[in-house]
Amino acid sequence: MEGAGENAPESSSSAPGSEESARDPQVPPPEEESGDCARSLEAVPKKLCGYLSKFGGKGPIRGWKSRWFFYDERKCQLYYSRTAQDANPLDSIDLSSAVFDCKADAEEGIFEIKTPSRVITLKAATKQAMLYWLQQLQMKRWEFHNSPPAPPATPDAALAGNGPVLHLELGQEEAELEEFLCPVKTPPGLVGVTAALQPFPALQNISLKHLGTEIQNTMHNIRGNKQAQGTGHEPPGEDSPQSGEPQREGQPSASDASTPGREPEDSPKPAPKSSLTINFAQKAKRQNNTFPFFSEGITRNRTAQEKVAALEQQVLMLTKELKSQKELVKILHKALEAAQQEKRASSAYLAAAEDKDRLELVRHKVRQIAELGRRVEALEQERESLAHTASLREQQVQELQQHVQLLMDKNHAKQQVICKLSEKVTQDFRHPPDQSPLRPDAANRDFLSQQEKIEHLKDDMEAYRTQNRFLNSEIHQVTKIWRKVAEKEKALLTKCAYLQARNCQVESKYLAGLRRLQEALGDEASECSELLRQLVQEALQWEAGEASSDSMELSPISEYDEYGFLTVPDYEVEDLKLLAKIQALEVRSHHLLGLEAVDRPLRERWAALGDLVPSAELKQLLRAGVPREHRPRVWKWLVHLRVQHLHTPGCYQELLSRGQAREHPAARQIELDLNRTFPNNKHFTCATSSFPDKLRRVLLAFSWQNPTIGYCQGLNRLAAIALLVLEEEESAFWCLVAIVETIMPADYYCNTLTASQVDQRVLQDLLSEKLPRLMAHLGQHHVDLSLVTFNWFLVVFADSLISNILLRVWDAFLYEGTKVVFRYALAIFKYNEKEILRLQNGLEIYQYLRFFTKTISNSRKLMNIAFNDMNPFRMKQLRQLRMVHRERLEAELRELEQLKAEYLERRASRRRAVSEGCASEDEVEGEA
Amino acid sequence: MMAIRELKVCLLGDTGVGKSSIVCRFVQDHFDHNISPTIGASFMTKTVPCGNELHKFLIWDTAGQERFHSLAPMYYRGSAAAVIVYDITKQDSFYTLKKWVKELKEHGPENIVMAIAGNKCDLSDIREVPLKDAKEYAESIGAIVVETSAKNAINIEELFQGISRQIPPLDPHENGNNGIIKVEKPTTQASRRCC
Ligand SMILES: Nc1nc2c(ncn2[C@@H]2O[C@H](COP(=O)(O)OP(=O)(O)O)[C@@H](O)[C@H]2O)c(=O)[nH]1
Ligand SMILES: [Mg+2]
Repeated sequence: MEGAGENAPESSSSAPGSEESARDPQVPPPEEESGDCARSLEAVPKKLCGYLSKFGGKGPIRGWKSRWFFYDERKCQLYYSRTAQDANPLDSIDLSSAVFDCKADAEEGIFEIKTPSRVITLKAATKQAMLYWLQQLQMKRWEFHNSPPAPPATPDAALAGNGPVLHLELGQEEAELEEFLCPVKTPPGLVGVTAALQPFPALQNISLKHLGTEIQNTMHNIRGNKQAQGTGHEPPGEDSPQSGEPQREGQPSASDASTPGREPEDSPKPAPKSSLTINFAQKAKRQNNTFPFFSEGITRNRTAQEKVAALEQQVLMLTKELKSQKELVKILHKALEAAQQEKRASSAYLAAAEDKDRLELVRHKVRQIAELGRRVEALEQERESLAHTASLREQQVQELQQHVQLLMDKNHAKQQVICKLSEKVTQDFRHPPDQSPLRPDAANRDFLSQQEKIEHLKDDMEAYRTQNRFLNSEIHQVTKIWRKVAEKEKALLTKCAYLQARNCQVESKYLAGLRRLQEALGDEASECSELLRQLVQEALQWEAGEASSDSMELSPISEYDEYGFLTVPDYEVEDLKLLAKIQALEVRSHHLLGLEAVDRPLRERWAALGDLVPSAELKQLLRAGVPREHRPRVWKWLVHLRVQHLHTPGCYQELLSRGQAREHPAARQIELDLNRTFPNNKHFTCATSSFPDKLRRVLLAFSWQNPTIGYCQGLNRLAAIALLVLEEEESAFWCLVAIVETIMPADYYCNTLTASQVDQRVLQDLLSEKLPRLMAHLGQHHVDLSLVTFNWFLVVFADSLISNILLRVWDAFLYEGTKVVFRYALAIFKYNEKEILRLQNGLEIYQYLRFFTKTISNSRKLMNIAFNDMNPFRMKQLRQLRMVHRERLEAELRELEQLKAEYLERRASRRRAVSEGCASEDEVEGEA
Repeated sequence: MMAIRELKVCLLGDTGVGKSSIVCRFVQDHFDHNISPTIGASFMTKTVPCGNELHKFLIWDTAGQERFHSLAPMYYRGSAAAVIVYDITKQDSFYTLKKWVKELKEHGPENIVMAIAGNKCDLSDIREVPLKDAKEYAESIGAIVVETSAKNAINIEELFQGISRQIPPLDPHENGNNGIIKVEKPTTQASRRCC
């Protein structure tokens, strides 16, 4: 806390406080070794630190507080404490995810740091300091993001050898920053280590929020001081103020109590005067300087004269009135005299005259009196009217006076104008006029105010420009960081996918191992098998646990795949559950591994492919599988190639309306199968889905399109797959037509399913040729493959293969035809040949064949077997085999019919021999 | 150690009568309203004890649609037993049952055990086929008959127990390879007569 003492009086006395004191450049930098903090700062030469005011607090104590900010490179944290010398920061700001902002319309030096959790408003002493800070913060943030990540944990290294290499191009783009904002020079004395030595405010800045830290810091400083005193390292001058300090700060509770009261005093901080206001004031002063010189004397003279004249007039009027009043007085005097005469006369009369005369006289006098009374009244009236006119005059006078005042004002204004003009004239004499002399006064005034405005706008513009430049750089920086982070994320995702794939593989291998063990142990109820059971149970439960707890999973095994099929087949038997899980894991690992290496290039090739034209290249592409986004388009094209000749516009609608008019005999069966189509697909099980309705219409339309077939169980699956891919029902209908009427041989779905049965025999022949060992093995165990393969052919694997492989098979099948079905049927056996050969029991083999198609997860491997390992595979051979077997089958059927007939014959004859009374049920059957 | 006998059983009957459901109930004790219609055949196993033997049923479920009948010989060939299913709410399905019985008698293995299941007995209020008719018919052909419900798990176990009982006990002289005897072989030979 050294140094606090000498500044304490200054900072507590002046409200502006810390800001000003920090700005004061006169404070000489004291020696470096003055405090332990300064020493530690010295060790890091390029440290970003300095005093800033931070806006904070709540309610009445809201306001600016000076804080010492310093940046920690390792953590990308901006710490702040009350003073540079404090040992523990009050708090920190995480810059790694912060954005910076400065507002043009805010006070100078104010800027904001926004982190996801809060916004910190800070104020630097000057604009330059603010820009310096902003730029430094940006730089630090960039450095942090650009720096190589912390060395990973050891297991990472082991994996790095196998995984895709994470290659992050961390390009240096510092130069770009300068496009936006040229580097701000370090404001001298305001930031950096030297700023720590700036005087800082005393206790009133104490942070209430971080009181604990404050107390700690205080204690630390006290301790530090004591130590320093003990060693006697400090120069004596700096020691002296300390002695008083510790006592004051030694009682944090006291300072704590006093702070809230004191806090508001320094919160309202006078804004630094902007250059604009200063300009204004100066201009005003300049104008005033020239003004009073002319005008004021004149105005004063003028008004006096006018007043005198008016008063004189008034005096005149009043004297007139006075005269008339005097006259009146005179008249009254005369009257009085006459009355006195009269009185004298009457007293004479009283003295002398006799009664009669007296009476006469009295009467006469009474008359005279009345006469006089009347006259008095008349005079009185006259007087009143005169007084009235006098008041009227007075009013007039007042009005006139007002008028005079008005004129005087006008005069004054004019004089002012004259003054200004003369000033202007003098100016113009000095500086030759450079503008049109027209209406010089108005123009001048305009000019002045506009200049002010321009000045103002320039100021604004400057501010906005800085802000804009800063924000541009901020945007640039943030974008850069974002890009980098996105890159990192992508790399991590790839790595994750790879690791997940590996994990899946390992897990599936583990499960497979468990299964083998289980099989090997057989039914022996030993401790081992109990343990195994437990392990299997656990393994099966993993998935559920993972799914619920691990919400952050990157590419979880979703319940349904892209086309809505359940990803984990719902096997009911316990040991098959394990298999199902193994299979799901395998599928996923292949999917994850294939994403980058296989799917991407394929996708690119498909994207580059323009119009679809039959070609060898297209054939290869179709065999590899069409990416999902291209599949509907490609299928439509493939179907069109095949049904062009059957296609007439409106045909589908017509078939539909035919179905509405009359019920097809197949309608009942279609209806029965509708809800049983793909119970493992959400599009067909969801009650609100439109797919079952579409499927009904497609199948009904087909039953009319091809009355000989009508509806055959299995067509529902074909149509459903078409619907899932093409979505639109008419396209799906044509797809069904293409398969049944153009791809498959005739009689494939008709009443006897002859062609389908023929194909099973053809397949057996082909299997014997391509996989002789397997066929021998199956023969040995009396396994009839056609029980299993019949379904494959009838519905083109729709029930057997997992959807992503199934649709690839269909991609090639729609283009190349039934050959593809044979190829894949052979490939499926080849793929699992070893496994089948391992099984030494017909039942086990059957059981295995029940689900083994669904365990195929590596579509590329299967495809390679189908199209490479099974070569040569010639259409001619296929046709020939089909012909041979068809003949044989038909012969067999004929033979069967014959046997049937013979049997009936035999029975009939036998029955004839038996008594006629007991008619057997058989006869009823025969009729049914 | 009990001897395990593998018994091939095939299910026949009109489409939609509930063959797959019966198998599903028997093997997994589970009922699903929307079981995917069988095409070709589906295959399941279940082992049940019978006397001092274990009977391992290898159940072949077949497609019901008329045109798949031509495939049926593949399935009943070598079968020890056939479960012929009708739907008690569908008179038609009872006629189809009779056709199946006839076909089995003409082309099936000679000693095949026939069991008739009148399924969906939970829907007896909309019944079309009286139990009496079924019983009379079964008697006339020497078959066992039960009314079942795959949905409510009625008589499913009993159906297969009945079949077990009808299987003639093993001839001890033929008991060869470690207790596992395949009944498949002799019946296959028997059926060769017609296919
Ligand atoms: N109410 C009722 N419905 C049943 C029963 N068994 C099967 N079903 C229904 O009948 C329909 C056809 O069944 P499924 O087993 O596929 O017949 P399959 O064609 O003979 O195999 C399905 O919708 C089943 O839900 C039963 O015992 N009771
Ligand atoms: Mg079925």
